[in-house]
Amino acid sequence: MKVAFPYLGYDTIALKKFVEMLGAEVCLGSPLTARTLSLGAKYSPELICLPFKITLGSFVEALEAGADTLLMAAGARKCRFGYYHYLQEDILKKISNHHQFYAISQYTPYEFFFKKIPKIFGVSPRRVIYATWLLLHHSALIDYYRKLIRLARAIDFTSAQKKESEALRIIENVSNLSAIRKAKNKLKELFQPLFKFKKRIIKIGLVGEIYLMLEPFANHDIEKELGKMGVVVIGRRSLYRHLKHLLHIDTSELKIIIDAYKYLKDSPGGEAIKTVGEAHGFCKTGIDGIIHIYPFTCMPENIAYEALEKMAHDYAIPLLSISIDEHTSKTGLLTRLEAFVELIKRKNL
Amino acid sequence: MTIGIPRALLYYRYGEFWVHFFKKLDVDIVVSPPTNKKILDQGLKYISSEICLPVKIICGHLDWLKNKVTHVFLPRFVELNGGLYTCPKMIGIVDIARLRFAGQFQLIAPKIKNNFYWAHFWLGLRFTKNPLKVKWALKEASTYLKHTQPPPPNGKPKILLLSHFYNIYDDYISRTIINTFKNQGFTIITKEHLDNKLLTSTKGFAKNIRWVYERELYNAFYYLLPHAQGVCNIISFGCGPDSLISEIMLKEAQARTKPFMQLIIDEHTSPTGLVTRIEAFCEIIKKQCLNIAPITN
Repeated sequence: MKVAFPYLGYDTIALKKFVEMLGAEVCLGSPLTARTLSLGAKYSPELICLPFKITLGSFVEALEAGADTLLMAAGARKCRFGYYHYLQEDILKKISNHHQFYAISQYTPYEFFFKKIPKIFGVSPRRVIYATWLLLHHSALIDYYRKLIRLARAIDFTSAQKKESEALRIIENVSNLSAIRKAKNKLKELFQPLFKFKKRIIKIGLVGEIYLMLEPFANHDIEKELGKMGVVVIGRRSLYRHLKHLLHIDTSELKIIIDAYKYLKDSPGGEAIKTVGEAHGFCKTGIDGIIHIYPFTCMPENIAYEALEKMAHDYAIPLLSISIDEHTSKTGLLTRLEAFVELIKRKNL
Repeated sequence: MTIGIPRALLYYRYGEFWVHFFKKLDVDIVVSPPTNKKILDQGLKYISSEICLPVKIICGHLDWLKNKVTHVFLPRFVELNGGLYTCPKMIGIVDIARLRFAGQFQLIAPKIKNNFYWAHFWLGLRFTKNPLKVKWALKEASTYLKHTQPPPPNGKPKILLLSHFYNIYDDYISRTIINTFKNQGFTIITKEHLDNKLLTSTKGFAKNIRWVYERELYNAFYYLLPHAQGVCNIISFGCGPDSLISEIMLKEAQARTKPFMQLIIDEHTSPTGLVTRIEAFCEIIKKQCLNIAPITN
């Protein structure tokens, strides 16, 4: 059985490990490129948002590489994301008929642990629970790594990039909980020499839609580009936090909702309330600027955008909202980022 | 105290109910006038360009109301019919209005989460101390909640016009479309011609749709398709639910060889362009009708 799932930035490593723990082979196809996106856009409906196109494109490429089992997250609520799989299943059926498409609902943990996953992989529920437990810790490790690399990039971009391949190797080579703990220490040692600095670094908070926050291809490597400009990016969104949210063990969630209350009294679906809550948290603790990224025509994030604009006005904090679709050019995005960082530098003088 | 009700978005579904409910409670109300170019242009100033046309229009209506009333009634519809969601924008519009029109008027925004009756009951108690009067007002007004229309006359070729109530009943948006179809000799049927029981049915794909108004649209499509010669789906640009459900309907219509047209509208849509497209679509239907039932002497 060759399993494919959509790429999810650095967290792809953790998901890969999860599938391997369940005894299946992972076959993701080539990394995301412009071809993936153009394939996705070719088969997608006209008005759909960007994550649909990228995930569909990556499925098409995975099928080309020989995958036979496709896993897609589902779970219909207010956001469009929960409905992706109905269309994707239909579209992929027309492209190939040698595969199985499974939609895995995010909001039914019981079904996930005891019915769906054991049935697909032919394993016991106990193993699924252990693999999920490992996935949670592995994604926590990746969350920690992202925090380190963000700071390292802002201090010394070239040496941080040199250390990236070694760090990724450390993250990949874990198989149990104690190895994860050791890997965390190793990562700390690896990046420690870089963290000797005196000067003040510009802090920018990154908020927005989860897929664009996690997948560097979707957001045109915005974190790396900001690091190159000497900016440290602060972002709370990760697979780790999303998993905790789904398992109802995220304690910081209540704080986010309370923070958001001034600007958004009720969740309009998707991750809008987290976008607003996190941004308000950043504003209160002091930040130099906020960048908000979301897919073009994303409904919840558009509501969040209105709230953020008001918030930026209230706290006098620069705000850059970027809506991304398949026609967004990297050059244009870079120009906007450079201008934004320049503006913050002037403001701080 | 004067309460303003914007004539946009949910007004086209619950407006008459609200107007009668407030009148029965002896509350002064002002309803904004039907949408026109000026109102739309005002609305564009308040909101980002990526949001769909009906939300831009409601911002224009709120702008019209801002100097004329002290309070604006804008309920927050979160869930209806036992756990079905409305659209994210309908939930968010209350917050947008609160932030954008801060200080201009106060919002009366009861949260409706599977408690349509009780939310209005508590709302009524704000204006009168007599619960029996509120109960009576609700009972009197609830006759205006039903929108079912009698079935259209047989004979004439029919077009199924699929869209949200705030698109079809807003004259400014749909005038050109409806008039062109009528000039071409078609009768228009909408989801209001379907019984309420069928509209909310959960048969087939409809049970997967968790947006309340989209489920109605899909059911209307499913049950009225055999009676119509063609389907015209009006989508406002940037509408998230429509972008998905319309695609599913399009695929089904293609499988059943029924002409299906998606008209995507926004504030820049020109009436002339719409007329040309609709006329071409009508030609296709007429040709297809001829093929199915050739004229014999």
